[in-house]
Amino acid sequence: MIELHEVSVSFDGQLVLEGADFALKAGDFVYLVGQTGAGKSSLLRLLYMDLKPQRGTVRVAGFSSSSITRREIPFLRRRLGVVFQDFKLLEDRDVYENVAFALYVTNTKQREVKKRVLLALADVGLSHKRLQMPHELSGGEQQRVVIARALVNSPPLLLADEPTGNLDPASSNEIMELLQKINMRGTAILMATHNYDLVKRFPARIVQLKDGRLMDVELKEKR
Amino acid sequence: MQVRYILREGFSGFKRAKLSMFAAVITVSISLLLLSSFTILLINANSVIESLRDKVEMEAFLEDGLRNDEVEAIEKRVLAVTGVREVRFISKEEAARIFEEEFGEDIYRVLDFNPLPASVKIYLIDGYKTAAAAASVYDDVKQIRGVEDVIYRKALLEMLDQRAKTFLWGALGIGLFITISSIFLVANTIRLAIYAKRKIIQSMKLIGATRSFIRTPFIVEGLVQGCVGGLFASGVVFVLFNYLEQWLSVPMSDFVRVEVFAYGLIVGVGCLLGFLGSVLSIRRFIGESVVS
Repeated sequence: MIELHEVSVSFDGQLVLEGADFALKAGDFVYLVGQTGAGKSSLLRLLYMDLKPQRGTVRVAGFSSSSITRREIPFLRRRLGVVFQDFKLLEDRDVYENVAFALYVTNTKQREVKKRVLLALADVGLSHKRLQMPHELSGGEQQRVVIARALVNSPPLLLADEPTGNLDPASSNEIMELLQKINMRGTAILMATHNYDLVKRFPARIVQLKDGRLMDVELKEKR
Repeated sequence: MQVRYILREGFSGFKRAKLSMFAAVITVSISLLLLSSFTILLINANSVIESLRDKVEMEAFLEDGLRNDEVEAIEKRVLAVTGVREVRFISKEEAARIFEEEFGEDIYRVLDFNPLPASVKIYLIDGYKTAAAAASVYDDVKQIRGVEDVIYRKALLEMLDQRAKTFLWGALGIGLFITISSIFLVANTIRLAIYAKRKIIQSMKLIGATRSFIRTPFIVEGLVQGCVGGLFASGVVFVLFNYLEQWLSVPMSDFVRVEVFAYGLIVGVGCLLGFLGSVLSIRRFIGESVVS
């Protein structure tokens, strides 16, 4: 699903990766940990190809950084669900339209859009708030809308960049439970976080980004 | 791409972003009012110049004692000169009558004889009412046998040419300035509206929307804003030139006329302004990274 081969990249003069190798298979759940500023977000940008590696190759969902064209990037992103700490919802439209937008871009038929949006909203428990505007929702609810939008196209891979970073502990737990449920259904998840408490409570493979290298690490104490 | 989606998004500004929509429509309207007022004044000023040119006549005076067939031959030869639209023969008697109308005295009472020569009045084709073209007609007519002299208001034509040239260049400069300012003003207003939506554009790219999928509704929106602005400006021009003269009791139609097609043209230019403004503005934001 994700394959990094000897990838080197610097961003804003800062080294993010240097000859890094990494693989994530279909159905995996992997935490990407590292200190603030270590380059976790930049690594995710490499994966949704908003950033290109200076050396090496990034392969994601069948697309390769060495051969992908600008026109193909949207098609890669349709195969990914991306969840951000700051949500990145379309602030000018309601919950339903936010989720539906992911289907509009794939030219899905109107009847199908309705069915799939309502299913996705039911999945995240927000059917009743479908006509609310994003600013009328709590942080946890907004993140659930983002997750619904990320999942409505049934992507094989979900990238989450500090998805609980702006949430209180209770909402964070809800989001984590939701992500686990999604993972159980077969969607691979790569989640960047520096919340070790969550990592402890929801154990999975952990990859640490440190000094431009990616390495598997173990937590000393597990729940 | 879904046409329904694009149209809905294109018109959504009226609901979602009333203020920026209003600002764009007003900007387009003001720009168009400036442009159309200028164009109307330009066209009318030009027609004043043209009407002055219409007053310019050429007259070829004939030698005395010509026979009728010789006069007819001269008329034909004058008519054959390039630039001549029409000729009219004025006999010595008619010249005397005109003299009497102009001076109130009979030429025979003043001089005992009629010294006024017969002449051929020459009316020029529109494009030949310039100093250079009239001079060429003058030269050709002057060479015709039987023509003694040719007169026309050379100085007036030269002055009109000079003024028209200055006026044309000045108008071109001002027109260009207003046009560029209008495009810049409209593009900037639309750019501000799109700038406010740049995060939305980033999110759209992140979800996998292609550039054209993001761009098209913005262009439709710009087009709608431009057309509405055009309609508004057209309405204002209509009211100004149709009702203002009634309210002010000033017969504006005497010196400014607005043809029906001009209203369509104002709307058309509005649509074009909105289209260009949005195309120029969206290009900048669509290339940005998805992470700000």
